[in-house]
Amino acid sequence: MLSRVADSLYWLGRNMERAENNSRVLSTQLIHMLEATDEQALNRDWEEVIEICASIEDYYERYGRIDRDTVIQYLSISPLNMNSFMNCMIYARENAKATRDIIPEELWEVLNEFYLDQKEWEEQPSTRQHTERYLKNVTTTSMTAQGVIESSMSRDLPYTFLKVGKWLERGEKISRILNVFCEKNRKDPQSSNNTYYYWLTALQYTNGYDAYLKKNPPTMQPEKVLNFLIKEPTFPRSIRYCINHVKEAIDRIEDGKISHYSADLFDMIERIQVEIEDTEIESMDMEELMQFLDHFQDRCLTLSRMFSETYYLVEPAHVK
Amino acid sequence: MLKQYDTGIFYDEMMNTNGTPKRHYQWFYELVEDFSENELREKHETAQLNFLRKGITFTVYSQAGGTERTMPFDFVPIIIPKPQWNKIEEGMKQRLKALNHFLEDIYHDQEIIKAGVVPRGLVENNPYYYKQVQGLDVPLRNHVFLAGVDLIRDENGEYRVLEDNLRNPSGMSYVFQNRYVMRQVYPELFFQHSIETLEHQLSELQQTVMSHVPKQSEGNRSLTAVLLTPGMYNSAYYDHVFLAQQMGIELVEGRDLVVKDDVVYMKTIRGLKRVDIIYRRIDDDFLDPEAFRPDSALGVNGLLRAYKAGNVSILNGIGNGVADDKAMYVYVPEMIRFYLDEEPIIPNVETYFLSDPERMDYVLEHLDELVVKNVGASGGYDMLIGPQSSEEERELFREKIIEKPNQYIAQPTIKLSRAPAYQDGRFYPCHVDLRVFVMNGEKTHVLPGGLSRVALKEGSLVVNSSQGGGGKDTWILSEGGEPHAK
Repeated sequence: MLSRVADSLYWLGRNMERAENNSRVLSTQLIHMLEATDEQALNRDWEEVIEICASIEDYYERYGRIDRDTVIQYLSISPLNMNSFMNCMIYARENAKATRDIIPEELWEVLNEFYLDQKEWEEQPSTRQHTERYLKNVTTTSMTAQGVIESSMSRDLPYTFLKVGKWLERGEKISRILNVFCEKNRKDPQSSNNTYYYWLTALQYTNGYDAYLKKNPPTMQPEKVLNFLIKEPTFPRSIRYCINHVKEAIDRIEDGKISHYSADLFDMIERIQVEIEDTEIESMDMEELMQFLDHFQDRCLTLSRMFSETYYLVEPAHVK
Repeated sequence: MLKQYDTGIFYDEMMNTNGTPKRHYQWFYELVEDFSENELREKHETAQLNFLRKGITFTVYSQAGGTERTMPFDFVPIIIPKPQWNKIEEGMKQRLKALNHFLEDIYHDQEIIKAGVVPRGLVENNPYYYKQVQGLDVPLRNHVFLAGVDLIRDENGEYRVLEDNLRNPSGMSYVFQNRYVMRQVYPELFFQHSIETLEHQLSELQQTVMSHVPKQSEGNRSLTAVLLTPGMYNSAYYDHVFLAQQMGIELVEGRDLVVKDDVVYMKTIRGLKRVDIIYRRIDDDFLDPEAFRPDSALGVNGLLRAYKAGNVSILNGIGNGVADDKAMYVYVPEMIRFYLDEEPIIPNVETYFLSDPERMDYVLEHLDELVVKNVGASGGYDMLIGPQSSEEERELFREKIIEKPNQYIAQPTIKLSRAPAYQDGRFYPCHVDLRVFVMNGEKTHVLPGGLSRVALKEGSLVVNSSQGGGGKDTWILSEGGEPHAK
């Protein structure tokens, strides 16, 4: 497979995953916002959402203050925000267009359809209802696309590169989300009422609420939620699950054999796996957890760089 | 619904002047009469949407940037009875054989120049004549692996060649997509017709590609072929994607290739992989910055060296442009006589050179009756259609011609044939032409039918998709044009 094609597939996986995750965070926030009474707290929530989905510095460079409609617009359809869903979906479509001879026709069509509808979305007034439908459309498009991938792609190289992008993106995003909530929790350790609310939100941001409840009491103890989202081996949105699947994908690329050129890559991914296994989440305080999560994000950056180097992927076009 | 249809002074593909359909359109006519207006409208919309949803688009560039557009599709097919098609097929094979001889000749012994049939200046001063490939022996001695010859019909219904496209003819994907959409949206129309299928045509194309084995690759190593595209922003990108995918060859860009020791490789995730055959959709000038335009960002350094060393085949050959420009066009009938000792089966359109002062005077006086074309331009650009032009446009061309007479040719305004088109809820006559695709390898093969292009703007003579032209399905009736018994 051409390196350029591999790179486009990797980014196709990443961009779709990013759009879906960000849209879920925003839709959750749109609901929570209704219950918030304290304006200061609400502004802080919005800042956190921006920090998860984009970059708060970039936002403040353009806008002086938090304004709900501005933020929604910035996160969803702003061409200025590299990570707006619209941009992620446009990039994903371009990635798909560059690999149209490789991917299933339906995958291209799903992304193309979103793009064609986009024009209509932009023209409609940005009412709350409109925004919600738009967010829903992002999620549905991403899920449909994944359905096409799972049901019709051969489990060979193109599939595997797509998946590496997806798992890496997801793992990183979960750790960013958790980082934000650990910080919140650290600043505000006393109020158990708030704590409950924070960790419930974390689960909703990661689409883990229902799955969590099946295994844990609904008390939202921070260490239990964190343990679930970091280490739960069966939940497809835990950090551990994501990293294990990156490893599995690389095994598939290499047929389970380690060659001289891939030795460093294997070494790194195994080290990350061990670091996750060996971490006792439930006995760590927020400070330590944040260190762990920061360290994990650094590891992800290194891993994606090594992955690109190992397979001669060209300079990523849309890297954050 | 065709009751109000007026064929006018033109040859009509479907209708007689008295308002009845031609024999080979009888069935089609009756089937269409069965559709209600609503059905027609709905089907029309479904068909257009189909192209958009599938992203079968071309990109049009303007100052505001590129816009993706679909080529409008018109459901009234061009139906050609078998005996007529047989003649076209023979004519195309003959023409391509002569043109290929010509290219081989002018890059080697130049017999045709020595014999005084084609002027030396016309060849050697031609901007598309590449001295870089003089004397080069190409695989199968074949320069034109794929040609797209544009045919028109005059007011008597006679087919004539309007243009030979021997460089990078595009549009083959549309032939297949038009048929696909037609079958999806208008299945009823196929029940009563027995038409030549397009199945296996792409495997013909693939075999044609693979038959061009470079000299140094002869032997038993399995060959790797690629399709070289300028990339997804190119206007014909869909064509490239479709062909690469259907032939099962890798779609590459210039930056995916590298030449080392005169061998071409592509950059894969496992390192370099040797490439033997390149079906390129990049123009000569941009192929190799080292040999041609140094500012090309699309090409591959050293490609010409690899080609000359016999390590890679490049399809179509480099330097074909000298044979398909509008001035050389005039000599093609002579080429057929010279190389094959045959009379052309499909004639040219009468053409005047403007370098002849007497001719030039005649043309300048009759600009309002003639079509004037820049010999180096294509796609309907830099062209004057006399009868439809304004005084200002004619004045502009008058100046252009006087300044550079060699750059222009003139042709009588041909009364291009027309066929009904259905758009905006009604049928009206539109001018059409037909691009026939000819594949050349160890043998020559003509794709049955081709791309019928239609000038959807009423009265317009320009069928190019970049200028508002659309496409139609083309049917070759496999049973001699006789409709089935009812």
